[in-house]
Amino acid sequence: MAKIGLYLCECGPNIADAIDLDRVAAEIEKDGKVAGIERHKLFCSADGKKFLAESIKKNGFERFVIAACSPKQHEGTFAEVASDVGLNPQMFQLVNIREQCAWTVPDKEQATGKALRFIRAAVTRVQYHQALEQKEIDCNPDVFVIGGGIAGIEVALRTAHKGRKVFLAEKGELGGMLKERGLLFPAMEPAGDFLGPRIDALRNNPQIELFENCKVKEVLGFFGSFVALLETQEGKEIELKAGSVVLATGAQAFNPKELAEYGYGKLDGVYTADEIEKRGVGKLLTESAKPVKSVAVIHCVGRDKLGYCSKMCCVNSMKIARQIREQSAETEVVELYRDLCLPGKGYDRFYKETEAKGVKFARFESVEVTGGDSGLTVKYKQPGGTGAELAVDMVVLSTGLAANPSNPELADMLSISVDESGFFVEEHAVLNPVSTMTEGVFIAGCARGPGDTRDTIVQASATAGKVLSSLVPGKRLQLETRTSEVSEKLCVGCGTCVTVCAYGATTLDESRHIAVVNEVLCRGCGNCASACPSGAAKHRHFTTRQLNQEVTEILK
Amino acid sequence: MADKFEPNIVGFLCNWCSYAAADLAGSNKLEVPATLTTIRVMCSSRVDPVMLLSAYLRGADGVLVAGCHPGDCHYQTGNYLARRRFALMHKILETFGLDSNRFRLSWISASEGKRFSEVTNEFAEHITKLGPNPLRKMPFIE
Repeated sequence: MAKIGLYLCECGPNIADAIDLDRVAAEIEKDGKVAGIERHKLFCSADGKKFLAESIKKNGFERFVIAACSPKQHEGTFAEVASDVGLNPQMFQLVNIREQCAWTVPDKEQATGKALRFIRAAVTRVQYHQALEQKEIDCNPDVFVIGGGIAGIEVALRTAHKGRKVFLAEKGELGGMLKERGLLFPAMEPAGDFLGPRIDALRNNPQIELFENCKVKEVLGFFGSFVALLETQEGKEIELKAGSVVLATGAQAFNPKELAEYGYGKLDGVYTADEIEKRGVGKLLTESAKPVKSVAVIHCVGRDKLGYCSKMCCVNSMKIARQIREQSAETEVVELYRDLCLPGKGYDRFYKETEAKGVKFARFESVEVTGGDSGLTVKYKQPGGTGAELAVDMVVLSTGLAANPSNPELADMLSISVDESGFFVEEHAVLNPVSTMTEGVFIAGCARGPGDTRDTIVQASATAGKVLSSLVPGKRLQLETRTSEVSEKLCVGCGTCVTVCAYGATTLDESRHIAVVNEVLCRGCGNCASACPSGAAKHRHFTTRQLNQEVTEILK
Repeated sequence: MADKFEPNIVGFLCNWCSYAAADLAGSNKLEVPATLTTIRVMCSSRVDPVMLLSAYLRGADGVLVAGCHPGDCHYQTGNYLARRRFALMHKILETFGLDSNRFRLSWISASEGKRFSEVTNEFAEHITKLGPNPLRKMPFIE
């Protein structure tokens, strides 16, 4: 039997006061399964780690159990100590007697009993630990960006600036939604002044290869080694290789045609905010058949249908209202809003400035646009139920942002998901907002949800940072060690593990009729190990044997 | 004085949600039964029904499996598969002559330390009322 050492951490008073460590030591010693027991005030401290390392070496322990805090806190710390003394980092077990014992069981007698059960389970389990090899693979640091809007452009420029080779595929023209924007709020700078130089920089950067008017047909492979197949308009296929994929597919303006109450597409003088941007405010005012003396801007068009607030449309519509007032001082502009969304820096000020320019604001609950010989009528219900009416010459529909319809197809190719609205789902909505469930696949800009240009730039920068730090040229990729493996001898090739794997890590080797695990893709959840009917799939470090030993000891 | 029955409960907790919730319960000094001993697995889908049955055969009075809420699985769909795997657990326990309430599957997120404390206390109370696992008296159990 391997020589096992037990280390009891006092964690200052945290453990020492709540658990009778003397009794723990005495009882474990009586069990006769460990070769030595030592205590320290704080094993995670520099002094504690040094003491631990020296003790392991001095006593010649081959495995050790350390009863201290949560493995979520210090498993990595003690794995390092293990490595430092020449042990495989899997050759220890950290027992959580702080969070899950000392702090949750107020009675010292009971806490001591529970700690003993935990420690005995670990002493038994650690005997079955197996050394695991830290595998590394070569990786391709090149970046493949899908989408040539501002998000994609920004990611491409930032990663190329750091010397990465970048491939950027755009199914149409470069520039995305921004190429049809007039001014950018809140600074009111022409979007072209900002976009133009960036597109030039993109075209002139020798590190960036552009594929305009190209569709992504297929993406195969995995983190560090993706292979993408593009198709040109002429039907020519292009293959390229990259280590990471960035989805920057953007969004599109909601089309209000399906909502009858706005009369869009039927009534003259009803425009979407997008159309106004495309045609230019000044042009629209001067080219109108009769002078435009009054304009109603209706907010939240499509919000109920889309099911979310698009965040950028309130301020964007105010930008249009301001432009109208600036270019034609006698034109009355009324913004009909449901809720004003003015989040973050500068937007509240923007609203106040807009009001100061003479733009009127009125709140509505429901609205209907009708047309007649004399012009347009906007009937709306105010909060509280009273009705009101506006006679106007022009209606601007402030529409929200809808997801790019090609998202589901791309999500399928990359084994990620889209949400109910069609936006890509991030790895974690709060903690990992620009990575996805497939390692090496990132998202930026409106591909992950509606936002304004500033949000997009922020995300693109974050994504570029993630891409740059996840694959570093010349550095090999360290793989997850606690992955699954399939025993060739036991596998009957039923394919159950293939169907339960969310990452496509298990596949059937048709020639040998067995399942094989791709260790680059495997995230180590152990699902296949419980699904396997023949016991061929094994979850390393969480093997059935190891877990059963733990259970048996707890129940003794 | 007769010894009060103290159950022995095993809890399998997924690393990302429920194990973190158990840690949080500790950080917030919320009580968790002394009779519950937890085992960390990476995902609730790592626990298979055979593993649970062998726990009952070894005398477990109750077994708790806790994972991320549906839709929140760290591994995308693990908790759904766990749920599917355990759908029949209650029936199986009955065929073993065990009260099906000796098994519980709960979804407890990393932020629900309070819920972890509540679920485990309620479960332990319930198991105490049910009394010892009748299989403990069986000859094949030491």
